Amino acid sequence: MFGIYEKRRSITCRILIGVGVNSVAQTSITARRRAAVLLLGLTAVFLLLGLRLFYLQIIAGNRFQQEALDQRYRRIAVDPKRGAILDRNGRKLAISVHSDGVICNPREVTDPDAVAQLLGSILQTETAAIRKLLDKQAMYVWIKRRITPEQADQIRQNLSRLPGISVTVRSERSYPKEMLAAHLLGIAGIDNQGLEGLEKYYDEILRGTPGSDMAEFDTSGLHIPGGEKTYTPPIDGSNIVLTIDEFLQAMSERELDKAMQDTSSRRGLILMMDPRTGEILASALRPAFDPTNYNDFPSENRRNFMLTDQYEPGSTFKVFTTAAAIEEGAVTPETTFFDPGFIRVEDRNIHCWKAGGHGSQTFTEAVENSCNPVFASLSLKLGVDSFYRYLEAFGFGKTTGIDFPGEARGQLMNKKYVGPVELANIGFGQGISVTPLQMLTAVCAIANDGLLMQPYLIKEIHNPDGTVHTKNEPKAVRQVISEKTAATVRTLLESVVVNGSGNRAYLEGYRVAGKTGTAQKPKGGRYGEERIASFVGFAPADDPCIAMIVILDEPQTPIKYGGVLAGPVFGAVMHDALRYLQVLPRTAIGQSDTPGKNVTVPKLPGNLGDAQAALAKSGLSWRLIGSGGIVTDQFPKSGAAVKPGTQVLLYFSGREKMDGKGFVEVPDFSGLGVSEVNARLKALGLVLSATGGGTAHAQHPAAGTRLPIGARVQVSFRPQIND
Amino acid sequence: MRVDRRLLKNLDWALIAITLILIATGVVIVYSATRANPALTGGNPFAYARKQIIAAIIGIAMVIGLMTFDYHLSERGYYALYFLNLLLLIAVLLFGKEVNGAKSWFHIGPLGIQPSEFAKIFLILTLARHLSQKDSLSSFFDLISAFVHIGVPLLLILLQPDLGTAMVLVAILFGMLYLAGARPKHLGVIVLSVVAIVVVWALLSAFFGVPFPLKSYQIARLTAFVNPQKYYDGAGYNVIQSMTAVGSGRFLGKGLFNSTQGRLGFLPEHHTDFIFAIFGEEFGFLGCFLLLLGYLLLIWRGLKIAYQAKDLYGSLIAGGVVSMFLFHVLVNVGMNIGIMPITGIPLPFISAGGSSMMVNLVGVGLLLNVWSRRLKIMF
Repeated sequence: MFGIYEKRRSITCRILIGVGVNSVAQTSITARRRAAVLLLGLTAVFLLLGLRLFYLQIIAGNRFQQEALDQRYRRIAVDPKRGAILDRNGRKLAISVHSDGVICNPREVTDPDAVAQLLGSILQTETAAIRKLLDKQAMYVWIKRRITPEQADQIRQNLSRLPGISVTVRSERSYPKEMLAAHLLGIAGIDNQGLEGLEKYYDEILRGTPGSDMAEFDTSGLHIPGGEKTYTPPIDGSNIVLTIDEFLQAMSERELDKAMQDTSSRRGLILMMDPRTGEILASALRPAFDPTNYNDFPSENRRNFMLTDQYEPGSTFKVFTTAAAIEEGAVTPETTFFDPGFIRVEDRNIHCWKAGGHGSQTFTEAVENSCNPVFASLSLKLGVDSFYRYLEAFGFGKTTGIDFPGEARGQLMNKKYVGPVELANIGFGQGISVTPLQMLTAVCAIANDGLLMQPYLIKEIHNPDGTVHTKNEPKAVRQVISEKTAATVRTLLESVVVNGSGNRAYLEGYRVAGKTGTAQKPKGGRYGEERIASFVGFAPADDPCIAMIVILDEPQTPIKYGGVLAGPVFGAVMHDALRYLQVLPRTAIGQSDTPGKNVTVPKLPGNLGDAQAALAKSGLSWRLIGSGGIVTDQFPKSGAAVKPGTQVLLYFSGREKMDGKGFVEVPDFSGLGVSEVNARLKALGLVLSATGGGTAHAQHPAAGTRLPIGARVQVSFRPQIND
Repeated sequence: MRVDRRLLKNLDWALIAITLILIATGVVIVYSATRANPALTGGNPFAYARKQIIAAIIGIAMVIGLMTFDYHLSERGYYALYFLNLLLLIAVLLFGKEVNGAKSWFHIGPLGIQPSEFAKIFLILTLARHLSQKDSLSSFFDLISAFVHIGVPLLLILLQPDLGTAMVLVAILFGMLYLAGARPKHLGVIVLSVVAIVVVWALLSAFFGVPFPLKSYQIARLTAFVNPQKYYDGAGYNVIQSMTAVGSGRFLGKGLFNSTQGRLGFLPEHHTDFIFAIFGEEFGFLGCFLLLLGYLLLIWRGLKIAYQAKDLYGSLIAGGVVSMFLFHVLVNVGMNIGIMPITGIPLPFISAGGSSMMVNLVGVGLLLNVWSRRLKIMF
């Protein structure tokens, strides 16, 4: 019945199906054969399934795994805490604080209208605006980034009626001292990113590394409460410790504010450095802005012009002509000059600021008088190459390398174009541009025995845990002049304050050195009416620990001399700063030379200009309290015998000291020294009851209280210790 | 009892072992897929696993009961079985409960019965009788009676509508015709003509608006697997999700109970039609390979039984059961891994579902019955 071929096929089928030769099989041959074929065929099909699985799970497995993870995990960034900016003593200038915000997961909102209604009433915002946010196709939508704690509480209490809404804590930049040092700190944006100033320059250090919260979500976008969570904590930003001293900064800003009010200047600046190290101790600029609400101020206010802007320094620049000439042996303090009121350079007469000239004078007197022809002759005597060597060594025409963005280089005219006229002009500070920072840095070199230090703002960088990450050490740039020359220049500058144009910066008991400057502001290619009044100096003159520059840009007063306007500001800040730094008062030179040479305070006429003239004639300085043209009162009273240079406080009708009923308003004394507080109270007709020593830190009654004349004000003082 | 002891000796223990392993695997994976879904389980994580176990116990009892009867008994009850089947299918159309737009269910107390599931068994038995009695299948016209035999109940099932089961019946018909000796050429011509008709019909429907018996969403379901990304928000979504689940299992899987795609609701029907995706996610390529090997062994035992059956009737019963399992496994696994259209066809012994479990066990029972009675001498 079977052919040999059939038999073979039958055996093949048996083997395929796994049936022994002996086993019986009664069903049809066709069925048997086809069962075997079917098995063969479907094994092949199963192999195909296996191949497909191999592709899905082995070859494309990782891709599918990633897709699965992406589907169910949502990454929520966790903000790191932005590092703080601290002053040199660890006082907080910029910190990150936690504030509440409202966020929403729109997919979890079941009844958007009701939620918008309720949220609108709690947050007191327009319901329609919130309603719009609830329709957004996103996992997270900010409803409001900053809400009050009360609003946060209200939302938390109503959470059951607000599905999908949650209160979240976010980190926000806060400037506890408000506008203090705003130009240095700069601004940070809403997402904690540095936008300007140190906040921007050191953004990478301050920012930290964001962490993440991987939360598991189901298909409808709902968060799985018990789901897997992977939390990667953020790494907080590092803290920056500035060289700035908050108190010195506050003193500078306070005095600058007064000066701005008194002089109605367009801009003002006080920059303070430690000449021994190059550390910037204070940097006060006006007009200022509030870094928290920076949008409320013109953006021009944010310009840190202490290093971005350059100006013509005028007479303050004579310091460097002096230094170069002495170092080169071209002059000694005793060298005599004759000033006829001008100097002829080539075909031109260069005039002294004083009509008729200063006549015969020693070099010391010439410095005191700030006599232009003398300095013109010195620079001419030095020659371009020699003079420029010193100017470049002092750092002019180059950035100082301070750790702050946007520094200008200043302008030092190309030597090729400097003829005798130009050289003579530079000798007394015209035809050259410097930044206030360059000016002060160079003056510091004189205070620091001729060694130029690189100015810097960052003292240390601290890790979030408080350990020190980086410590900036003072960096010496170069020895510009010899120690001996520096000492000679210091003595000359001290005599400027004692006997010369800088006498309004004189401080009783301290040796102050400085130089006044009154630069004409060029306008449309010519010198115009506006002035820059400045004063640069340091104290104590024999062992300087503070160097300072005061600049008032475009003062609107009748008299615009730097010595008259900037000098007293310098004196006031220096006075408080030295006491704060616990530099003990000593006898200054000049003072010991003129013992008992007291002057009598004159009775001052009502007109400010006349009063100033009368005081100047008596060798007294003054400070303007309030504003206006009519002097309503003075302190000390007329007839009092005081030392020359003593400040007389002039009160104006703008802020009368007394109201009609014989009451006066108690000022805020915080941060002031004992004598200052006493002087002010006396001026008001009040009596001081002091406890402790140092600077005022508490007072009773509080500032602003109205008291009858003769009442007692308790002020407690405490020493300020540099901890 | 003498008969029983001889029957025990002739049981296919390998088949029983494979079946029990598959059932156990199914119970565990159903538990894994449903335990964390209170909406499905009503708060009792074991609800579905328990249902599976109960169905398996009832099914095993049915197998034991069936074993006491000779399968030839059904040969005599041929007409009764065939018309009982038709009656049940008509009854479910009249009195059945509509679930998801299909009238497929009877509810007797807590138990849901799906007549279309049992129709598979009735039709395997009756078609086996019909084909084994036929003198010849060599002519094309010889096949007509078989098509009518299946066609009538198939129409009733399509009316429910239950496209999946209808397709299973077609697969059973073709499998049994092939084993019974129909010419492969004939079967091939029929398949090709059906495909051609469907294609032409579809084209006519698309270009001339000729009514097509399937709704557009059904067509989308059937064709989405070709390009799932195109239908991401609709029919393609399931395919993408099941492939993602299977693929993300990689070689060793995420481990039992560690499936995320089903638990988080990304993969719908993850305890029934798409249970294989959960299995693949938790046990990886290795687990899938072993599972497919298990099914291959099950089918091999079935074909061996068909090969060694006492008569053609027995062979065809075994062949019908094998066709049923084979079709279920290929289509279900195929749709889970994106190479087959999405049809509501469960994975035998694994997918949650009582009727399916019982019917599959009855199928195994039929195989055992044919096997244990393969030797003529015994009786």
